[in-house]
Amino acid sequence: MNKLLRTLIPFDIAKGLSITGKHFCKVFFTANRRKVPFHIVSEYPEVVAKVQPRYRGRLTLLKDEQGEIKCVCCLACEKICPTQVITIEKGKKEGRKMPFPVRYDFEMERCIFCEFCVESCGFDSIILNHQFELATYNREDFSIGMEGLAHNMYEPSPVGKFSVADD
Amino acid sequence: MFKNEEMEINLGPQHPSTHGVLRVKLRLDGETITHCRPMIGYLHRGVEKICENQTFFQGQVWTDRMDYCSAVANNLGWAEANEKLFGITVPRRAQYIRTMLNEFNRLASHLIWLATHALDIGAMTVFLYAFREREDILDMNEAFCGSRLTTTAFRIGGLREDLPPGFEKLVKKFLAKFPTCLEEYENLLSENRIWKKRTIGVAKLSAEDAIALGVTGPVLRAAGVPYDIRKAFPYAAYAEMDFEVPTKTEADTYARYLVRMEEMRQSARIIQQCMDGMPEGPVMAKIPKILKAEVNEVYHATEAPKGELGYYLVGEKGSGNPYRFHVRAPGFINLQSLPKMAEGGLIADIVAAIGTLDIVLGEIDR
Ligand code: SF4
Ligand code: SF4
Repeated sequence: MNKLLRTLIPFDIAKGLSITGKHFCKVFFTANRRKVPFHIVSEYPEVVAKVQPRYRGRLTLLKDEQGEIKCVCCLACEKICPTQVITIEKGKKEGRKMPFPVRYDFEMERCIFCEFCVESCGFDSIILNHQFELATYNREDFSIGMEGLAHNMYEPSPVGKFSVADD
Repeated sequence: MFKNEEMEINLGPQHPSTHGVLRVKLRLDGETITHCRPMIGYLHRGVEKICENQTFFQGQVWTDRMDYCSAVANNLGWAEANEKLFGITVPRRAQYIRTMLNEFNRLASHLIWLATHALDIGAMTVFLYAFREREDILDMNEAFCGSRLTTTAFRIGGLREDLPPGFEKLVKKFLAKFPTCLEEYENLLSENRIWKKRTIGVAKLSAEDAIALGVTGPVLRAAGVPYDIRKAFPYAAYAEMDFEVPTKTEADTYARYLVRMEEMRQSARIIQQCMDGMPEGPVMAKIPKILKAEVNEVYHATEAPKGELGYYLVGEKGSGNPYRFHVRAPGFINLQSLPKMAEGGLIADIVAAIGTLDIVLGEIDR
């Protein structure tokens, strides 16, 4: 008898519908009110997404206070990189005792953003910045070096301006 | 006219409910499956061989990319296998943090299983709700190690960094709301008549068959075998944790669903215990800068969300690379039970069978 009742009256379906209904009402009455922090849906391209402080983005070379590149060409990062995307050429610069990188090439298309390079650097001369919008239209734009118009190793990649060819 | 004819069809490799690039060769008699063979290898990258050409330190990034739904669990296995090889003892605080993150990862993996499995069978709502909670776990991953999926979370000998400030608050917030979320999923599914019709008695795998095929994880536990490596051979800080190993004896899809739901509750319990008993101290052991192996071999098994994840490593004297590296992937071995589950059943039920095995093709093909 009980079983027949349960088969005839869909209590189970009603239970499920009550949950979805509850959520629907919550969304319906609170969405688009500024005071209610509505965290589930974020309006990504309009509202810039927040990243955590430890986020691993694109590799960036740092400069010291005098505007000098901090890297001293110890090649630790080149050696530890699991995908071998860093190429450094040692050189000299006038008025500087430490070696100076003449070339610091970074092939972003193969970088897996593991942060091993930053970890191995004993001179704190590189970081991974907080950028995640790194897509481009051309493959060449992934090859980042010391020189370059839109992309170089010191500045973040331009967002929204996708190609070197555009400028 | 068609009475004696059998039809051969391919399910996949590009089918939304095969969870990646799995191809299943089926022979059908009407709607009944008479022959079923999974074909794999579409995602083969040669992870084992790549790792043999890389140092022990670098190898970890490849383990991220095997089972991408549970990267932290893979990292833990790799780090512990190496620590066994080099005889390194990890500080206690690091063990606790590892255990906690591993359990979070189990939650994330089970949530993604619940979401996709329910979606395959036809319950769309759970998919959205489960991904909502998974998002919080991924945010925690990001706060701890800077990446959401391919975490590279641990280092041989401990952790790279301690927990970030404010992590405790995130965990507390998550643990406060997670039990209600679990109840919500269960209210949506456990009693639902469609869900029950699609899962009870479907894709059965008896305990004898499961053991004979080497199946591990929730699939084995749903057949009534209480085998969990966290209990049988405790690693990390699991020896100090108090938790239960849920089992069911029905050995069907519904039993596996119940086992996994209960496992999520236990995971939340372990996380709570880790938070309460978190010891102070360093998080990294003193290890030499360049790890050089002796002639030695280790096999280290851990309980990944999908089953027994084993790493087999052979060291060569004076070499910084492993001489041989092999992964016992739980998904690969669990998939071998698919013919046993599906043959004799209906074609509509093979989707449930694939979903209940909780496979990730990145791990199967490696
Ligand atoms: S983040 Fe990893 S892959 Fe990328 S350059 Fe650094 S070491 Fe290489
Ligand atoms: S490890 Fe640091 S100092 Fe050494 S080469 Fe790389 S960036 Fe330069």
